[in-house]
Amino acid sequence: MDPQVIVILAGLILMAAIIGSLLFLRGYSGKFTFDTQTGTRPRASEGEGSTSGVKSNGRFKLLTMGVASVFAAIIAKLWSMQMVSSDYYDGLAEKNQTRTVTTPAPRGRILDRNGVAIVENRASLAVVAYRDLAENRIVVRHLANVLGMPYMAVLRNIQDNTEGAQSPHTIATDVRRSTIAYIQEHIDEFPGVRIAERTERSYPHGTLACHVVGYTGTVSQEQLDAQEKMSEEERAGSIAYQSGDIVGQAGVEYYYESLLQGIRGEQVVQVDADGNVVGQSGAVPAKSGSDIKLTLDINIQRACEEGLALGMKVAQSTSYHPTCGACVCLDCTNGEILGMASAPTFDPSVFVGGVSSDVWDVLNSDSGDHPLLNRAIGGLYMSASTIKPFTSLAGIEYGVYTADMSSNCTGFWTGLGEAWGKKCWLESGHGVRNLETGIRDSCDVVFYDLGKNFFYDEKNPEGLQEMYRRWGLGAKTGVDLPSEAEGRIPDAAWKETHFKDLPADQRAWGAGDMTNIAIGQGDILVTPLQMALAYCGLAMGGTEWTPHVLLSAVARDGEGDVFSYEKKKRLTAKVKAEGALDVAYRGVHSMIYEESPVTAAHFTNLPVQVAGKSGTGEKNGEDPYGWFIAYAPFDDPKYVVAAVIERGGYGSTCAMPAVRTVLGALYNSPDDRPYVGGDSTR
Amino acid sequence: MATDALKRVNKKMDAGKNSLRQKISVPVLIAWLALLAYGAFVIWTASLTIEEASFSRQLLGIGLGCVLAFMCWRSDFSGLAGMTTVLLILDLIVLFSPYIPGLSYNAKGMTGWIKIPLIGLTFQPVELAKLITIFFMASLGAQYNGRIDTVREYIKFCGMLAIPFGAAVVAGDLGSGLVVFFSGAVIIMMSGPRKEWVLCTIALLIGGVSIMLALDSVLDAALGHDVLLKQYQMNRLLVFIDPEADTSGAGYNLLQSLIAVGSGGFFGKGIGNASQSGAGFLPEAHTDFVFALLSEEFGFVGALVLLALFALLIFATIRVAHQSDSLFLQLAALGIVGMWTFQLLEEIGMSIGLMPITGIPLPFISFGSSSMLMQCAAVGIIQSIWRSRGKAA
Repeated sequence: MDPQVIVILAGLILMAAIIGSLLFLRGYSGKFTFDTQTGTRPRASEGEGSTSGVKSNGRFKLLTMGVASVFAAIIAKLWSMQMVSSDYYDGLAEKNQTRTVTTPAPRGRILDRNGVAIVENRASLAVVAYRDLAENRIVVRHLANVLGMPYMAVLRNIQDNTEGAQSPHTIATDVRRSTIAYIQEHIDEFPGVRIAERTERSYPHGTLACHVVGYTGTVSQEQLDAQEKMSEEERAGSIAYQSGDIVGQAGVEYYYESLLQGIRGEQVVQVDADGNVVGQSGAVPAKSGSDIKLTLDINIQRACEEGLALGMKVAQSTSYHPTCGACVCLDCTNGEILGMASAPTFDPSVFVGGVSSDVWDVLNSDSGDHPLLNRAIGGLYMSASTIKPFTSLAGIEYGVYTADMSSNCTGFWTGLGEAWGKKCWLESGHGVRNLETGIRDSCDVVFYDLGKNFFYDEKNPEGLQEMYRRWGLGAKTGVDLPSEAEGRIPDAAWKETHFKDLPADQRAWGAGDMTNIAIGQGDILVTPLQMALAYCGLAMGGTEWTPHVLLSAVARDGEGDVFSYEKKKRLTAKVKAEGALDVAYRGVHSMIYEESPVTAAHFTNLPVQVAGKSGTGEKNGEDPYGWFIAYAPFDDPKYVVAAVIERGGYGSTCAMPAVRTVLGALYNSPDDRPYVGGDSTR
Repeated sequence: MATDALKRVNKKMDAGKNSLRQKISVPVLIAWLALLAYGAFVIWTASLTIEEASFSRQLLGIGLGCVLAFMCWRSDFSGLAGMTTVLLILDLIVLFSPYIPGLSYNAKGMTGWIKIPLIGLTFQPVELAKLITIFFMASLGAQYNGRIDTVREYIKFCGMLAIPFGAAVVAGDLGSGLVVFFSGAVIIMMSGPRKEWVLCTIALLIGGVSIMLALDSVLDAALGHDVLLKQYQMNRLLVFIDPEADTSGAGYNLLQSLIAVGSGGFFGKGIGNASQSGAGFLPEAHTDFVFALLSEEFGFVGALVLLALFALLIFATIRVAHQSDSLFLQLAALGIVGMWTFQLLEEIGMSIGLMPITGIPLPFISFGSSSMLMQCAAVGIIQSIWRSRGKAA
């Protein structure tokens, strides 16, 4: 029989018993006739032991009903708790007795294309405690002494909020074995303090490729909130993060978080009221994250970084003081990034175990160089003269400045009137130059004329910008790294909205704007990777492969899919005008070998033929930004190397050594010529 | 008419003059013995997991209680009717005895205990004071002969209850104070005041308590320290409204108790399977929360059996009171009914979230000898009242 039916029956019997007892009492009361029928009671004052117990049936009935209602209330509540909601309380009782202990899973390693580890894991012992410990100042002080940390630092770590109130807070990581042993032996002196095993990120090569690999950190409250908002389906395929989890916060660590993150192990244990484990059940072992192989080659990467350093050193010898720059090396046949450097660098190991706010403030200070910024994909620069090959293509394609045309450079160009005269960088003048020799010598006058012609061209006044965009400039490359900047190819519409607060005549797109962007100055902005990719397209006759840093992902335990990056075509730039590309090719090739003997000397000692272009971005009130982009081999292009050095002076001086260093690493042919900071060609 | 009835009563009593039923109320006896057995069994199960719940000590308490009950049964309490002043003074002495140097006994942070000199027994005098107060109030009530004529008299009577109630609260135990208050209130109501007065008093009390609670929080905030109610008492009242609001502090006990009762289900988890009480989640499982322990182990069925036994005891006691010829003894018996009913309501009620949490024992069940002795004495008094019902006539 259903228990509820039994209880209902039992309840009815009880009710009957109560009603029966009431009737029983009533029956009894009939035998007592001390009360008169009219309700008046005997008023005689009896002495002690008198027989006049005065009864009132009404009072007894009331009392009996009162007592019965107490029983009824209790039974009703018990019914609702034990019969109706029993399962709910069962669940609570179950939850009371079990705790889920999680074991963190190690993150996957990050390797270079040859399997050399850039980011690894190492075991570390941490001292952790719950927030309550902060109230016990004596223990905190004792712990600080044992750990050899300042009292305030220990207190701050305990009270730190980044790890969430419910999880234990990390007081110290990488604690010495002897210290751990001391704490474990004297655990009674440290109530609430525990030792936790952690795996932490380690960087065997220090800062190498720090901008590509990024760094890790505790999952932020925003990330947890975002997870909360996810729908069921979205959540099914992703990792459930808990407060205190370590996740990628930048670079590959962030972008490939889902591959790198392991799946934490769970062990359900039975506990008593004091939290002592009395049994265990249902263990799921931790599964470490997948190892990731990057397209980076550790040697090329190092060459990129050393090249940047060399370029800056050379610039310093010419009285410039650069500290920032970027250098990127791509395989133009498939988009693989072999090296990507950004200066200055940061040490990703400072983020292990939580970055201190002092360090964080320094890294993000507005007065500093923003070392966390990956300038190769997030730095926006004027392209300067490196854009001139694409300007040439536009001129030929739209017929506003064909390969047959030429301009006479006197060092001062007055194509827009005497009042609007513009200087060529070579103030003594180049003489007569056409597009090819204009690229070679970076003669501005040729491109001023080209820009002016575009401006006054009725059919295609913005054909120049169209050509830039055709090669992917001013648009994200789609590289598999976070925080990529978009850049900007300015046009009339942009200027109108961008300066909407200015008077109409200043908002209007002018011929000066056009001549500016024709030589890569003015409002044009590109990232080093964008520019490198445009050269990839140029070298490949129009095909640009999407740049990427991921080569493949391998599960550490050998299980699971081996994931490889399939190369993707980013775009194909088609130039219809016949011979236009050849003009550009001849221009960038002759720039290396013919423009300046000083530059040529650094490339003639390479086993392959190189093509390239320098550039120098002029910014009001700042030292020039030096560019250099090259691809090799010239006849069968494979590699593109681009470098930019902020405030480093002329591109041929400061950026060229960086590019040459990378080419030297690619072809195992280091430069044997000294760099002298005297080359002022652009 | 009165003589007719008396004759009938006397005749009936003559008929069973030598029978057991004349000397002992059988339903009260059965209910009492069954509760003692049930309680002993519950404490035995508790003793399996809870160290402090010593089964042998509980058996000793039950044995002493039986002796005391027998002594009370053989005694005649009607003589106490004229000793109102003595009873009041005795009551106050007993209530404040823990403050008398040489008697007071403070161990493990407990207060409200005395250690009887020479014998060395420890005792909670407030349990004794409950019975003395009942006799005190009954002796007062008996003077009105079944009807309180004037409001003045009624107020005076109520005022007299305030003395032992106030003393019990000041001596440190709100729960016991409420027991004293409730049993006294039953005696007042049964002494024959007008219904309107009683209703007015109840309304005034509810209003007064609300104002006091409001005033308490205002004064606490203004003066920066506990004024009327202690903070823990306030917390208990607040968590009663929402037990899951604070699961680590004051709400923890209540929540654990609710889980214990609720997860017991229909038949209970059985002895040794009760995780809430067995693994220590339920605090005070053998004393204040013994009903939660019982409900977890024996479920709804076990709780119903307990309630049925208490119902038998209380309703049979009401019958005893009803049949008593002495107004004083009748009121005393009704005071005991009030005491049991309130302790039952409070002890079980707090375990299931019906009442705020206070620390009072469940009669005959909870671990502890002081309560056991005095509750057994109360049963003895009821039996004595039953035994003496014909004598006065």
